[in-house]
Amino acid sequence: MAASHPIIIHDERSLAAAVLEATRVAQSAGLSRVAVQQLATVTSELGRNILKYAVRGRIQLEAIERKGRKGVRVVASDKGPGIQEVERAMADHYSTGGTLGLGLSGTKRMMDEFTVMSEPGKGTRVEVVKWQ
Amino acid sequence: MADNSMSSHGTKMNTAEEACSLFRLTDSDLAALKRLGERVVPKMDAFVEQFYVWLKTLPEYEVYFPDEAMVQHVKSLQRDYWVEVFEGVVDQSYVDRRATVGETHARIGLPLGIYFSAMNYAVTLFSVDLYDGNLNADDYAAAVIALNKVASMDTALVVDTYARISNEAAAAQSKAIMEMSTPVTQIWEGILLLPLVGLIDSKRAQDIMDASLAKIADTQARIFILDISGVGVVDTAVANYLIKVTKATRLMGCQSTISGVSPAIAQTMTELGIDVGNVRTTANMRDALSLALQAQGVAAPRVGD
Repeated sequence: MAASHPIIIHDERSLAAAVLEATRVAQSAGLSRVAVQQLATVTSELGRNILKYAVRGRIQLEAIERKGRKGVRVVASDKGPGIQEVERAMADHYSTGGTLGLGLSGTKRMMDEFTVMSEPGKGTRVEVVKWQ
Repeated sequence: MADNSMSSHGTKMNTAEEACSLFRLTDSDLAALKRLGERVVPKMDAFVEQFYVWLKTLPEYEVYFPDEAMVQHVKSLQRDYWVEVFEGVVDQSYVDRRATVGETHARIGLPLGIYFSAMNYAVTLFSVDLYDGNLNADDYAAAVIALNKVASMDTALVVDTYARISNEAAAAQSKAIMEMSTPVTQIWEGILLLPLVGLIDSKRAQDIMDASLAKIADTQARIFILDISGVGVVDTAVANYLIKVTKATRLMGCQSTISGVSPAIAQTMTELGIDVGNVRTTANMRDALSLALQAQGVAAPRVGD
């Protein structure tokens, strides 16, 4: 499947580019209007986490297909400080960054597949998939 | 906006040492370059003439060289440029002068393809056409390698500046658009409207806050309609900004309504778990306007009646 180039997230402008690209990829994969909105929002959440905690990272968007079903995969990765307590970070209203603390839990609710891997001091990798 | 200490790709190439190290340019390279310089610098006039014979064949030539005075001026700059290259000294002023060259080319909008082609042609002229054959084979090979390194390094320095200037231009442009993009307007006695379009970042969120509160103070408005139908994404950060704006306006005695919440945005915000609390929201601007007019005691004409 055609993977677009990874987008290096290092400022709000590059984050905006990733959100626009997510919208484009999701639309061309035939996702519903709501799903397109959700995927763009999730890309924004993950990108903002990169900016807030790791300063620099990458987002890779990919149109995928499994058993004739189309979808979009978003992988957000960074080599930042990592998440100390993944389970707590996944809980609603938990934030170490002074924000709403709904980004990761909301992301999980909106996506069909969600994996987070993080090692303190080494970085974080969040992979999500939204199916058609 | 642009960080001067980094190139467009984050590779440091600010100082002469950084530039030389990136291109593996050594003292023996510079010595080899000097040896070739002894052969070709005396032919610099011939180089410039031949270079312009080629340049004139380009369709863009007339655009960039409108008159003879301009041609003479650029020819003399070019002469100095290459004489400096063959002096075999890469120091800070060398690097700075390359940045100036980049700046000049960026300002006139010279296509980068022409720039690359010109550098390549110059290397060919010095190493083949104008070379008199009077170096031993090893020295010649070393000089050609060194010349290529320097030409690439110079090109990188120029392109780096080029990219920085283009980025600055884009940033200035987006700043100008941004400033126009928070048009808080009084649409009725006591009613303000701000239609938001595009993506909202932290800078813009602050602009929205400032512009809204200033206008409320100016107009003593009691109702503020924040229309988000043109906003691409409402993630938790954007929602947080919007809620903060409505809270701040309320402190000033002005009730905010967020209008234009599309079905997709409504569903996304719910899934995110965003609690809008007692912020009034409507599906479209018409409803918000109708409510606002009623609150102001104006009989709102109903569309379609």
